[in-house]
Order: sequence, then structure tokens, then C-alpha cells
Amino acid sequence: MSSGSSLLPIIAILPFLGALVPGLMIRAGRTACATFTAAPTILALVMLGVLAPDVMRGEVIEARIEWLPQLGLSASFFLDGLGLLFAGMILGMGLLITLYARFYLSGEDPMGQFYTYLLLFQGAMLGIVISDNILLLLIFWELTSLTSFLLIGYWKHLPEGRQGARMALAVTGGGGLAMIGGMLILGNIAGSYDLTDILTQGDAIRASEWYLPALILILIGAFTKSAQFPFHFWLPHAMAAPTPVSAYLHSATMVKAGVFLLARMWPVLSGTEAWFYIVSTTGLITMVLGALIAIFKDDLKALLAFSTVSHLGLLTMLLGLGTKFAAVVAVFHIINHLTFKAALFMSAGIVDHEAHTRDIKRLGGLARLMPVTAAIAIVTALSMAGIPLFNGFLSKEMMLDAASETVWAGSHLVVPVLATLGALLSVAYSFRFISHVFLGPVRDDYPSKPHDPPFGMWAAPGFLAVFVLLIGILPATIVGPLVAVAGGAVVGGELPYYSLKIWHGVNAALVMSMIAVAGGLVVLLLHRPLDRLWQAAPRPEAKVIFDALIDASAALSGWVTRNLHNGSISRYLAIFVVATVALGFAAWNGGALAPATRPMLPIPAVVAVGWVLLVVATVLVVTMHRRRFQALVLIGVIGLMVSVGFVYLSAPDLALTQISVETVTIMLLLLALHFLPKHTPLESPLWRRTRDGVIAVGAGVAVTGLAMAFLTRDFSTISDYHLANSYTGGGGTNVVNVILVDFRGYDTYGEIIVLGIAGLTIYALMVSLLTGPAARRLRNTDYSQDRSRDRHPLMMVVATRAMMPIAVVVGIYIFLRGHNQPGGGFIAGLVISIALLMQYMASGFAWTQARQRIQYHAMIGWGVVVAGLTGAGAWLAGKPFLTSAYGYIDLPGIEEFGLGSAFLFDLGVFLTVLGAVMLMLYSLSRIARYAGETVNVEPMDYDPSKRVEAIRNGGE
Amino acid sequence: MISADLSVVLPEIALAVYAMVAMLAAVYTSKDKAAPILVWITSALFFALAVWLGVTAGETRTAFGGAIVDDGFARFAKVVILLSAGAVLLMSIEHMRRSRSLLFEFPILITLAVVGMMLMVSAHDLMTLYVALELQSLALYVVAALRRDSLKSTEAGLKYFVLGALSSGLLLYGASLVYGYAGTTLFSGILATIEGGEMPIGLLFGLVFLITGLGFKVSAVPFHMWTPDVYEGAPTPVTAFFATAPKMAAMALFARVMHDAFGAVPGDWGQVVAVLSLLSMALGAVAAIGQRNIKRLMAYSSIAHMGYALMGLAAGTQLGVQAMLIYMAIYVTMSVGTFAFILSMQKDGQPVTDIRSLNMLSASEPLKALAMLVLLFSLAGVPPLVGFFGKFYVVRAAVDAGLVWLAVAGVVASVVGAFYYLRIVFYMYFGEEGDAQLDGSMPAVLWGFLMVSAFAMVAGVVNLFGVEGLALMAAQTLVN
Repeated sequence: MSSGSSLLPIIAILPFLGALVPGLMIRAGRTACATFTAAPTILALVMLGVLAPDVMRGEVIEARIEWLPQLGLSASFFLDGLGLLFAGMILGMGLLITLYARFYLSGEDPMGQFYTYLLLFQGAMLGIVISDNILLLLIFWELTSLTSFLLIGYWKHLPEGRQGARMALAVTGGGGLAMIGGMLILGNIAGSYDLTDILTQGDAIRASEWYLPALILILIGAFTKSAQFPFHFWLPHAMAAPTPVSAYLHSATMVKAGVFLLARMWPVLSGTEAWFYIVSTTGLITMVLGALIAIFKDDLKALLAFSTVSHLGLLTMLLGLGTKFAAVVAVFHIINHLTFKAALFMSAGIVDHEAHTRDIKRLGGLARLMPVTAAIAIVTALSMAGIPLFNGFLSKEMMLDAASETVWAGSHLVVPVLATLGALLSVAYSFRFISHVFLGPVRDDYPSKPHDPPFGMWAAPGFLAVFVLLIGILPATIVGPLVAVAGGAVVGGELPYYSLKIWHGVNAALVMSMIAVAGGLVVLLLHRPLDRLWQAAPRPEAKVIFDALIDASAALSGWVTRNLHNGSISRYLAIFVVATVALGFAAWNGGALAPATRPMLPIPAVVAVGWVLLVVATVLVVTMHRRRFQALVLIGVIGLMVSVGFVYLSAPDLALTQISVETVTIMLLLLALHFLPKHTPLESPLWRRTRDGVIAVGAGVAVTGLAMAFLTRDFSTISDYHLANSYTGGGGTNVVNVILVDFRGYDTYGEIIVLGIAGLTIYALMVSLLTGPAARRLRNTDYSQDRSRDRHPLMMVVATRAMMPIAVVVGIYIFLRGHNQPGGGFIAGLVISIALLMQYMASGFAWTQARQRIQYHAMIGWGVVVAGLTGAGAWLAGKPFLTSAYGYIDLPGIEEFGLGSAFLFDLGVFLTVLGAVMLMLYSLSRIARYAGETVNVEPMDYDPSKRVEAIRNGGE
Repeated sequence: MISADLSVVLPEIALAVYAMVAMLAAVYTSKDKAAPILVWITSALFFALAVWLGVTAGETRTAFGGAIVDDGFARFAKVVILLSAGAVLLMSIEHMRRSRSLLFEFPILITLAVVGMMLMVSAHDLMTLYVALELQSLALYVVAALRRDSLKSTEAGLKYFVLGALSSGLLLYGASLVYGYAGTTLFSGILATIEGGEMPIGLLFGLVFLITGLGFKVSAVPFHMWTPDVYEGAPTPVTAFFATAPKMAAMALFARVMHDAFGAVPGDWGQVVAVLSLLSMALGAVAAIGQRNIKRLMAYSSIAHMGYALMGLAAGTQLGVQAMLIYMAIYVTMSVGTFAFILSMQKDGQPVTDIRSLNMLSASEPLKALAMLVLLFSLAGVPPLVGFFGKFYVVRAAVDAGLVWLAVAGVVASVVGAFYYLRIVFYMYFGEEGDAQLDGSMPAVLWGFLMVSAFAMVAGVVNLFGVEGLALMAAQTLVN
């Protein structure tokens, strides 16, 4: 690393370090603050001066510090001619602005803050032009957006500043984000994120299929930054910023960043049709449009802002032409524009500062009141108009020269004519600036009597005006080498032929130029009628369009959210289901579905009837669900048919489980139904139910299809393992039961605990419910209307009591055979709870409760304990928890039967299930009593035994 | 044997035991009066565990026959989860105390959720996955409805529960399909099945339903519907929690399942994830524009951010996983800071959520406004703030994996998305002069988190605090 390379990162970091200084120094006074702000800039300039000779010799100075290497981000810098030109401009202008701002800002303005922002911005800008890594460039790029936002918003008390800052940031920030995408693609094509590498791969990049997206994204970034049509509208609105900011950001540096990028990428991206048409056309339109609007602006700064837009368009067009000559002209014009435009802004600032207005209609005749300012302004404005002896003339001539040779879509005229028109309009607004502000009679109605400011304030624009003249007269001597080296960096190779001199002889460009000057004067003379015409004519206001765009997107967003997130959970569910079905459909289509390997089974008539019954019942539930009792009956039918289906498909154990669960749940639901309204009100309109129906049918069809697909294909599943190992490993032939109590004993153990806790939770919830506000509502419920006359029908009482012992025996039978035949503790528990439930329903709560010997809570607890102890018993045998053991016991009188430890475990399951179900019932019935249900102490409304006694008594 | 297994899940066990002990202790002592001290202890425990997990990084270990794995990836996610959960807990004290909703159950439920999350990211088996996910979800359902006296909160909790139950069901359905066709619930077993030959369609369906369920948890479009309502309805501290730790956990679990169980067929799930990512980014960006409620806005913002994180996942590469981890770590940090500010938003002592109340904050509270400016710009992904690096990583991963269309769409969405973050900044810096001003006071804890988070967004540009390297190591253990 040479000494030069180590200087480069220091130059980059200096402004950021310096940004800390003003905040500290402001207490020492304004002049001290300004001086210390200038110090880092001067230091950086000196270092740049040290490096300059090497660069001027054509060397490229590089420096590299690894940062986040995996991301491809490194803090690498390089300085070539173009970088040197821009770095010099940024630092030099920064120095002048620092000086100018010292006098421009008033005592009340927080100057320390201003200088801090200014230095931060300067650092960001400097970073852009000397970054080697495009990610680093992007970082600095957005940093300029951020710091400019702070600078534009500096004068917070000005209302127009708000909108301006907002638009500026939205447009440039957004453009920068778009550019990230472009840079990323570019880096991907080139295989490196270093500019020095990318610049050598122009051919590969232009040939890539991703060239166009990358180009468009990068151009969006560049065009938004450089205020090119149709993004030009933000720049004039950003002019509410203090004038030093306008001069620095909006004429000299930030808006040139886009142009800089175009120039930097010129060797890589230019040379294609897409580049030519997009870039040059945009530039041309911007140039003419900006100049046209500028003529009719009465605000001094707005006029200058639109003229800046116009000149940026000119630069863009030159770079867009794609010829080396045009590119070098662009470089030359960048220098010229910097000198005259910044000086003009500062002069406008002085006028504003002194006269307290920027309205051209209220100004005039200032030349006599403030001669120095007028001299500076007139010199620079003449340069802007492109009058000979001033530097603007030279680059404008060369621009017209380049334009005159351009063929646009087969036409030789379009570009030259438009370029001349642009120049003409440029002359018009420049002369208007001179004549309407400085010439003419002295007025007596200025808001404040103007006079020349102190030297410090006009020193900076004066310095620039001198430059304007020097370059204008001796172009080759003053800036010739710089243009050569910077132009060489842009075109990336041999420089084209060009000459920087005043007199090129009479050529097309000179003729066009003369037309422009003459036409411009005519336009100026006709300004008053033209202005009236312009004010009357309808024209699209970009800001209005921007606002409308924002409103439209807000409306779109509102529409999306209203329709998607309207708060209705049924809509959410609908979207969820549709999305899932769609995803499933995609998988169905995308996956390779093997052909069906199993033939369809024949469908016997009985099965068909059962199927029809199932479908009909299902449809009826949906249509009749508002009548709850009927719906419940239908649900029972469905459950029954499903159980039958299991029987048909040779799964008796499943069928048994299904039917007992079905019965218990229907009975519990029946009890719960008591507390609900009899009918559900009709809530949704027909179209909505239709829509939901369609979605439901769609999901149903999808699930059916899925089931069919699985049923008609052979595949190896885990079932085979269980079938093979059920007897040998678990000592049972009922695979389902063996899975429950053996293979997956752990799960079952967990499940019964959960079931028990669920029962207890329902109980606990009821307790808190009945002590809370809901209890009051319940008390006020009137159930007297829908009471059955016969509270405990005799037939039912007798039948259930007769059934009770039988049911218990069946339960025990099912429990005992469980391990080998369909059955088991779970089903047995359910069967016995059904029997008990029936007692409650038939004989009444009190009667049954009085005969209850074991607490349900205890039953749950014992169930879990028994199951747990059984599992733990395995430890005694030195086996892991829940390992089952089994053996055969030969009891005299009874056949030999197998007894496994699983049997005890199943007992635990049985107890827990029974306890939990009964506890839930108990809890539900508590609501009833709370709701005013009287407890009938008699088991029957009509006790036949008493009747017999009565007859007997009466008979005696 | 068992002790070796237990030592792997020692942090989880410690937390679970703590939760139970704390619950009993609180119930039998001063109940809600103990809540603040419980919160402090809980978050101290989280931080301590995070440090412990962070410094004892070591070999990849498995436990319980491969059902749980403890590797660099899990550790990375766990540290993020623990730190963010601890931070959010601390931030919530003041807010909940003011609204009189600081129940002692809150820290305990959060602890249980965190246990679930830690198990989620360590899950190496469908069973562990499901149990862990449900432990987390059940705790979250409850905390979403924590304010029982608020209609919005209960409604949010109910919606979240119903939709969550549906998604859990689908996930379970998918898991059982996968189990049925792979013959094992172990991720490594599933991977072995796929690597052996062609992927059976049953597995494909299982995968799709798994993605559906996981998509719900990360609130990816179109399974995101619960997000805005829950974010808005839930108490703000709970919203802050939702936006941080569970997102990290769900995203890590997503990556874990995809890579560990289906890593052999990245094409099959990559496309689906890419679509989810695209939809999330687009909807998150567009829908947030019209929002005035900052909590709802953050909901859409989180949807969009999940889209970006999913972009990394969609790449299906090691770089993609690394990018996703970095993105999530950055996102969580930003969210903590942003919510620290949102938690402090109140006017005349009443919490407010309207973004218009931020009018001219820069005038009354310049430092806070600046911190929020940094955070919002970072959320928008504007260079040079750290948020940009996260976005750049995922976009880069997508481009490298050939998903250029997704990357470009992501960049475009970020431009749209930047708009609404910037609008808040405009309100703060250029709002209209009005009487809508926030109360100036801010609890020290919130202030601290806001400033630390904002500072991290700026200082992190130096080396991302080394997260890059850690994420790389984490990604290496997952994808190899």
C-alpha cells in the first residue's frame, strides 16, 4: 500500500469525524464554529491535492479494508479522474458554502447543528464518488438522502419545508432502494461487487439476460436523485431549505450524484439501444421541460431550481447519447454548471437575505443598490445563458455539436431541434433573471431596503464568478487537463477528439446557438403575454400527480385491508381453507402420483344405503343446524353410520370406541342443549352461505380425493409393524388396545392425565362461572315454558334401572376381554358412564347423587395412581417405566386366561375415563340447578309402590 | 443415559421447573403483588440462560433417541429468543402496572411459552415439534387474551385460538401423513427416506400441510389473518412479545423442519416458501400504507419482514439460512426498540396508538425522535443502517440461488414499504403544529431499550456485532 492508498480512507472518514466538532465548538462562537467546520474540509482538500498529481498522470489510487467480506462488502476506495473531479468539487464547494453559511444564517439558527449535518452530508457525498465497492456506494448514496432530509428540514418553522422534505426523501430514498436491486444484479453478473472489476466486464454485462432489469433499476436510482423526468418534481419543492443547502445540495453536489453514477457506469451500461433511448430521451425531455417551466417561475429559487433540472437533463442526455465525445462534453459541462449555478444560488440567497423577498415580480433595479452582487449574478447568469466569453458557452456549443449529429429513431431532426429549443428557453430564463431582478428602475416598495452584504457573504459567489470568466476565456489552460483525465475515466479508454476553445469556426452548433440567443430574447420580450397564457393554460402539476398517486395507493391499501382483514373470523377461516386447498392442489399437480394399485371394491346395496344415509344426514345437519335438537339427532345418525362403516371395514375395536364415544358426547350435548336457545338466528345472507358452501364443498372434495388416493394405493405404513409385534411384544391380539396400553403406553398415560385434568378443569370453570356475573344471568333464565309435563317418565326409570346391572356386566366383560378382543378400559369406562348417565337422566339428579358412593374426583385420582404404579412396577423387574409383563393364570373353575400388567394399567384408564365423564356431567347439571331447576327428591313423578300402599290403606 | 439426555435439555428443564415453582409460590403468597418481582426474576433468568447458552457453545448433541438436538443453530435461535423475551418482559412492567393488568401469571405464561420455543428450535422429531409448538401456542393464546375486561383483547385471543387450532390441526395432519409414509417421526429418518428415492406423494402432502401450519406461526400470507387483529387487540406488551421471540422461534423451526427433514428436496418446498415470501412482502407493504394505528401498522410490518426472512429460507442454501438468522436477529432487535417506544406512547396518562399523535415529536423530544428515526429507517432497510444489511443478505441469498424474480420483487416491496415507515418520520419531524402531543415522560427501562436498540442500528454497521459469524456457524450446523 503506497502512501496514497492510505490517505484515501482518511479523506473519506474526515468529514464524519469533523461532524463531531461543530456541536462542541458552537459555544465558542459562530466564527470559531465555522472555522472548525472548515478545518476537516481543508485538510481533506490538502490530502486530495497530494494525491492529485498521481491521478493526473493517469494512475488509479486504490485502498481496501475488509468489512463484511461474506456479504461482498468491503470498505474499498479508488480515486481516478472522475472521482478526483467530483471529490474536488464536493470539498471545494463545501468550503465555500461553510463560509457563505457563516454569514447567511442568523444568530437564532442553531448553527452547530447545521454544520454537523453539512459535514455528514459532505462525507456521504464524498463517499459516493470514491467508493470502489458498489455496496459501499449504495450506503453512502442513501446516507445522502438521510442527511439531506435533515438539512432540508433544518428550518422547521417553514410550512412549505415539510412537504418538500417529505417528497424529496420519498422519491430519492425510494429510488435508492430500487437501485439496490439493480446493483445486486450487476454484482451477480460480474461476480464481484468492486467497481474496478465491474468496469472491466462491460461486454458480459450488456450480453446478460438480466441487463435490462438491472439497467432500469439503476436508472430509477439515478433519475430520482438527479431529478429527471418524471421524477423532477421533488427538486423545486425541496427549495424551502436554507439557501446554502440549496446551493450545495440542489445544484452542486447531491443532484449530480445521479449524473455521476451514469458517468461511472457509462463504460459498462452504455452502448446499447436501451441505454440510448431511455437515457437520452429522458434527458432531452427533462431539459426542455425544466427550462420551459423555469421561465414562468416568479420565485427566484424556483426559477433556478427548474433551470437546474434542465441542466441535469442536458447532462443526462449527453451521457445517454453514448458517444465518447458527448461523454467528455458532459464532464466539461459538470464543471461549468457547478461554477455558475452555485454562484447564482448564493446570489439569489443574498437578494433574499437583503431584500427579504425572492419574488421576481417584487424585485427589479437591484443593480444600482447592490452592484457587487449584481455583477456576480450577471456574469454567472450570462454563462448560464451560454453567451461567449463565459464558460457556459463552451460546453453548450459542444453539446449542440454532439446533438446535431445524433439520429433518434431514424430522424435527424428531433434531437438537434429539441436541443436548440432547450438552449433557447435557457437563454430566456437567464435573461429574465438578469433583467427582471437587477435591471430596470429602482423601486421603493422592497420589503427591506437592499444593499450589498459584507465581503464574507459575497466572497464565495465572487470566487466562482472569477472562475466562470477564467474558464470561459482560457478553457484549455484552466481545466483542460482535468477534463482530459476525468473524461478518460468516464469513457474508459482512448479520448475522442475535442478541443476546448472559444472559436470553432462557423458550424452547425454556432448557428443553433445564435438561433437560441435570438429566440430567447424574443421570448423574454413576449414574457408578459406568454406568462398570462401559461397561467391560464391547463398543465399537469407533478406534485398533484404525486399526491394523487399516494392517495390512490392509500385507497388501494384501504381496499385490501377492508376486504382481507374485516375482523370477521369466518372470512379468515375461508381464506385459510381456500389457501390450504390451493396449496394441496398444487402439490397434487406437481407431485408424481403413482397410478392406483388397488381396484375398487364392489359396493353392496346395504353399504350404498349406509353411504347415502351418511351423506343425507350430513347435508341435513348443515341445512337444519339452526334447529338444534334435530341437528343433534342427525349428528347421532352420522356417528352411527361411521361406526357401522368401521365394522364394515373390519375394524370392530374402532367401531366400539366410536359408538361409545358418540353416545357419551351426544348425551352430554343433550344436557348442554338445555341451556342454549332452541334456535340459531339466521345471521348471514344467502350469497355468503352459498360462498361458504362452495368453499366447504371444495375442501370436502379435496379431502375425499386425498383419502381416495391413499385408499387405492399400496404403501408400507407403520401399521404392519404393530400387527406383526402385537402378540409377541404386547401379549394381546387386539392391536389397538396393545398400542394404547403397551406400545404407546407413555402416551396413554399422558392422555388419561389430560382427560382427568380436563374433567377437573370443567368442574373448576363451573365453580368460577357460577360465582361470577354469568350466574346472575342464569338465575334469570326462564325454563318453565319448555318443561316436559312428565319429569321422570316411569317407563324410562324402570328401563334404566333394569339395564344398570346388565350394562355394568357388559362393561366388565368388555374391560376383561380388551387385551385380545375388541374392548378395553377406555370403552368399558365409557359404557359404564353411559349406564350411570342414564340414571341421572331418568331418575333425577338428587336421587342418583344420593346413591353415589365414590367421589368422581377420587376416581380420576385413583385411575392415574393405579396406572402410574403399574408403570412403576416395571422398575421392580429392572425394566424401564411402563414395560409390560404378562403371564397366564389358571384359576380353578375358569379357563386359563392371560393376565398382563397391562391389565392393571387398563384399570387405571377405565377409572379415569369414568371419573372424568361423570365429573363433566355433574358440572353441567350444576348449571341447571343454578338456573332454577328444582331438585326432585322423588325418583319418579308417580311412584307405583306408593299407589299400591294407598289402595291398600284405602281398602282397609 | 437418561442423565446425559437430561443434561442436553437442562436449560429447558430449569425454566419449566422455575415456571411451576413460581406459579405455586405466587398462588400461595401475595399473588399479583408478586408480579413485578417475578418479572424481574424471570427476565434475569432469561438473560442468565442466554449468556450460559452463548458461552458454552460446543458440539452438536442429541437426546432422547434423537428427538431433541442441541446444535449451533438451536443455540443461536435460543439466545435470540431468551434475550428478546427478557427484554420485552422488562419493558412491560410499567405499561401493565399502569393499566392494572400486571398479573402474576404473565411472566409465568411467558416462561412456558419460552420453554416451548426453546424446544421448538431444538426439535428433531415430529412429536417434539408438535408438543413444543403447542406448549408455546397455548401460552400465547392465553396472554393474547390477558386483559379479560377488554373486548378487543378477548376477541383477539379467541380469534387467535380458533385459527391457531385449525392450523395446529393441519400441522398435525401433515405430521401424521409424513409419519405414515416415512415410517418414522425422526427428522433424520424422514430425510433418509427421501434421500433413498423419489418422494412419495403422501410425504409431499404431509410437507404441504406442515408448511401451512408453520406458515401460520410465522404469519406468512395467506395464513397471516390473525396478525393485525391480535397485534391490535392484545395488550401492547404482549404485542411486543408476539413481534419478537415467537417469530424467531417459528422461523427457526420452519428452517429446521425444511432442512433437517426435507433438506434433500429443496426444490419441492423452496417454491412454496418463495410464494409465501412474495405474498407476505407484497401484502405487508401495501396494506400498511393505510394504517393509522401503530400497532396494526407494526403487524403488517412484521408480515412483510417475515416475507423477507422467508426469502432467505426459500433459497434453500446455507447462505439462505445464515441470511434468515441474521435477518431475524436484526429484526428482533429493531422490534424491541420500536416497541419500547410504542409502550411509552401516552397522552394525559392514557396509552395512544394513533400515529398522528407523533406530530412534531422532534420539537418536544428531539433525542427520542432521532432514535425512532434511526429505527424506522432501519426497519425500512435504508442503508447504512443495520436493517439494510439484513435485507441485503436475504436478497443476496435469493439471487445466488437463482430466485432473481423474488429478489427484485422484494426490493420493489421494500420501496413501497419504506413509504409508510417514512410517513411516521414525517409526522415526527414535519407534522402540522397542533395540540396532539405525547407525554414527555418515559420510564427509564423503555428509554434504555429504545436508545440501545437505536444505537445498535448505527454502531452495528461496523461488524454487525459479530452476528454474521455466529449465524454462519449456526447455518453450517443446519445445512451440510
